[in-house]
Formats: sequence, C-alpha cells, structure tokens
Amino acid sequence: MAAAPAQYSRGRSTVAAFRLSVLQFLADPQWLVPSMIAPVIFALVSFELFRVAGPYFLTYAILGAGMMSMWGQTLYGSGWATGQDREFGTLEPTIQAPTPYLYVVLGRVLWNVLSGLIGGLIVYLVILVVAGGPPTVTDPLGFALLFVFIMVTLASVGVVFAAFYVYTRYAGFIQNIGEFAFYIGTGCMFPVVLLPFFTNPISLLFPPTWGLDALRYLSIPGYRGFEWGFWGDLLGAVATTTAYLGFAGMVFYRVERHVLEEGNLSEY
Amino acid sequence: MSTALTASAPYRTSFWRTFWTNAVMAPRTSLGFMRVDFVLGTVFVIPLTQMVFFAFVVQLGGGGAAKVAYTAIGNAVATVTYSSVFSVCQTTDSEKQQGTMEHLLVSPANRLALYFGRGLIPILISLGTVAVGLLYAALLFGVVIPPSSIPALVVSVVLTGFAMVGFGLLLGGVALYLRTSIILGNIFLFVGLLLSGVNFPLSSLPLPLQWAGDLLPLTWGVAAIRSALAGDSIATLGLLWAAVALAAALSFGLAIGLWKYFEQRALATGSIARF
Repeated sequence: MAAAPAQYSRGRSTVAAFRLSVLQFLADPQWLVPSMIAPVIFALVSFELFRVAGPYFLTYAILGAGMMSMWGQTLYGSGWATGQDREFGTLEPTIQAPTPYLYVVLGRVLWNVLSGLIGGLIVYLVILVVAGGPPTVTDPLGFALLFVFIMVTLASVGVVFAAFYVYTRYAGFIQNIGEFAFYIGTGCMFPVVLLPFFTNPISLLFPPTWGLDALRYLSIPGYRGFEWGFWGDLLGAVATTTAYLGFAGMVFYRVERHVLEEGNLSEY
Repeated sequence: MSTALTASAPYRTSFWRTFWTNAVMAPRTSLGFMRVDFVLGTVFVIPLTQMVFFAFVVQLGGGGAAKVAYTAIGNAVATVTYSSVFSVCQTTDSEKQQGTMEHLLVSPANRLALYFGRGLIPILISLGTVAVGLLYAALLFGVVIPPSSIPALVVSVVLTGFAMVGFGLLLGGVALYLRTSIILGNIFLFVGLLLSGVNFPLSSLPLPLQWAGDLLPLTWGVAAIRSALAGDSIATLGLLWAAVALAAALSFGLAIGLWKYFEQRALATGSIARF
C-alpha cells in the first residue's frame, strides 16, 4: 500500500509558529521588558525635551517611542527567530520540513511585531499618565489603519533580518550595537529630513521610514517631512515592503537550497 | 615533589593571582558582551549614535547649540553604562548558566581580589568609552574642552569608571536572587538618561525622582565631569569627587556583602539553584 503524500499547509505552519511564540512568551513574559524599558525612558526624556515645543510634540514622543518599541522587538525577535533554531539544533530539521521555512519565520516575526505593539501601548499609557491626557490626532481612523500598515512594514523588515541572520554570526552585534542607528536612520523620534542629505537614501531603504513619515503627515498639522508628501510616502512604503517580502522569499529559497546541497547550516 | 603532594600544609591562595586570573579570564567567560566586535562597537559606535539621537531630539524640541552641547556631554558619559553596568551585572547569570557558581562559592579565592579583578577590563573599556564620547562631543557637537580642565577631567572620568563598574557588580550581586540579570541590566542601562542629569538638569524632575537620581553613581559622575569641563574650583570638584568615590566604595562594599550573604545562605540551605 503506497504511503499517502505528506499533507501540509503553509498557513497552518505560520499559525503554529505564531502559537508557539505566544506560548513561549506566556511561559516567560519578562522578555517584553528589555525591549520596552528603553522606549519608555526615551519617551519620558523626549517628553521633557519637547515640553516647551508645542502640543503636537507629544505625538512625536509617543509615536517615536512606540515605534522604537516595535523596532526593538523586531530587531531582537527576528534575530532570535533563527538563533533559537540554531541553539536548539532544530534549524536543519525545520528547514527540511515540507513547509518552506519562510512561513515558519513569518509566524514568529508576526508575534514579535504584535508583542512590540503591546510594548508600544504600554509606552503610550505611561506618556498619557505623565502628560495628563491623550495627544491630539486629527484623523484617528486613518492613524489606526496606517499604524497597522506600519506593523506590516516592520514585519517585512523582520523577515529579511531573520533570513540574513541565518548567514551571519553578527546578529547579536547588529541588534545591540546597531539599535540606535536604526532608530536614527528610520526617523523614529524626529523626521529623517533633519539628518544630513547624504544619509537620506540609506534611510529610504527601510519601509518603516516611509510609513512613519506618512503617519506624521497624517497626524501632525504643518508637518514637514519628505517633499513628496503623504501619498508619496505611502506609495514608497508599499513598494519597499513588497520588495522586502520578495527579497526575503528569495533568500529563504537560497537557504533551503544551501541545506540540501551542504547537508547542514553549521558553517556560517 | 611527593612531599609537596602529601604534605598537609594548607593551600595558600594569592591575592594577585586571583586578581589577574579574573582580570584576564572574566572577559572571556563570565562578563557579557566582551567579544572584540562588541567592545569596539561599545567604544566607538554606541557613543556616536546615542549622542546623535539625542542631539536631534533636542534640536527638534527647539534647543539651541548650548542645549545640544549639554546633551552631548551627558550622553558621552552615560554610554559608560554599556560596559560597566550591562556587561558586568551579567557575571552571575553566566556563572549560573555555565554551572560554575558552585565551584566559585567553595573556592578559597579572595573575594575582594575576585571582584576587583573582574572589574579591571570593564573599567578600562569604560574609560575608553567616555574618552571617545567626549572626543565626539568636542569634534561634532561644539563642546569646548579647555586644556586646563584636562587633569580634573581625567580624575572625574577615572572615578566615574570605577563607580560605575562597582555599581555593575552590585547589580550582579542583586541578580544572584533573580532568574536573570538581563532585566536589571536593561533598566539601569537606560534609567540614568532620565534620572542622572544626562539630557536635562535633574532639578526639572519631581523631587522623588531627584532623590532616586541621587542614588545613582552616574548622577555624580556626570556632575563631576560637567564641573571639570566648566573649570570649577577644586573645592567644588573635591565635593563631587568625594561623592563619586563614596558611590564607588558603597557599590563595591555592598556587592561583596551581597555575595557573602549569598554564600552563607548557600551553605545553610545546601542549595544555590533556588532563585
């Protein structure tokens, strides 16, 4: 009797990876704290520095710190997404499974971004208490929708990082030493246009830069970001996010080919 | 030879051997983030990116050149926490994970030598981090460092380095009772940015937060370095140096006290695994 072909579902694999990440988080939720402390403190410091600069700077502080929380979780979580497989010795078996590895990583990255959002909400609540009230947002519904889209842009970066981290021993270095560089480069707390012009093309390589600029256009009256304005930012965010997801797919395909050819992923 | 092996003379530990062994071995074993790339990143990259970040935040908030310079000095000093606090407080985590804590506790090694030895390389890296940070402050953020202030500045930086590493060891002692030191390390890695007069004067905070800030060695270190740069009198500086030295002595003393207490508990309960 012939064996029935293995049945698998990419969506089910992603959901399973997501569920496992949630369970691991619930088993030891203290890991939200490291990625949350810095944004909360930076938000409070920025709030103090912006205090005399007008009402909309509260939005800057909250938006920036919330983004930093999600960025931090994406940076650290994505590195860990492949790092944990390598540490537990499950990288090769997972890649050998019928489901493309990309869909397993996607589940983990989605949880990282969501847990970053939880961190962002905590930051928001802390600032709300300190400031004594919510910030003024001109279009709350648009703001919420765009914020969700920014989470997607972060997830796309997370997937690319996770793919890249398979091939490097410097994941920890990039996460820890490069943390501030990512905050600066994507304009978490201030518009990227304030940075020297030659750095702008580098910043524009990251989808969250576009998304965050669009979000500020939407929520801060009189905001002056990139000259192409809100719709240009939105278009750029969609284009770069698509490019990132496509690139991640290519890299993961190569990783899988590599495993089949070499039989291991220990040499990197 | 055989006499030496069979003789019942007690094994004598050498203070300096313990000191040097720990100084050389701890960066490779128990201290966190001591790989060469991390050290170079801590000394050269983190001060620059942190200072740039806060300089732009100040600029966006309407602060002028003076405020940017103020923030640059504060952050140049505050980056010392990466090597002195975050890295050093992980020693206990590493010992627990590697299963060497038991051996350490029953060894006759002099605890003072052990602690100072472990702190040596972090102190040197801390000095390098602050020096590079102040260099960036002068070259990129318009901070003026008068040549006459350099001797006082050196004293302030060295004292701050000692105090901060002592504080890191103290946190490592506290972490003996925790599941992990990472959370503690992360809290004290950044809390100084808010409570130590790094980005704005401490006086702009509510009184309870000012008191909390006064308990941190970084607060006194930042104040001493600012005072040295401002060319304050030796009387003013002396008081601040005394405060930093006191913070260092208290931190080292409390760290050793915590370890002793932990050892006694371990002997009494027969277990060090419960935390």
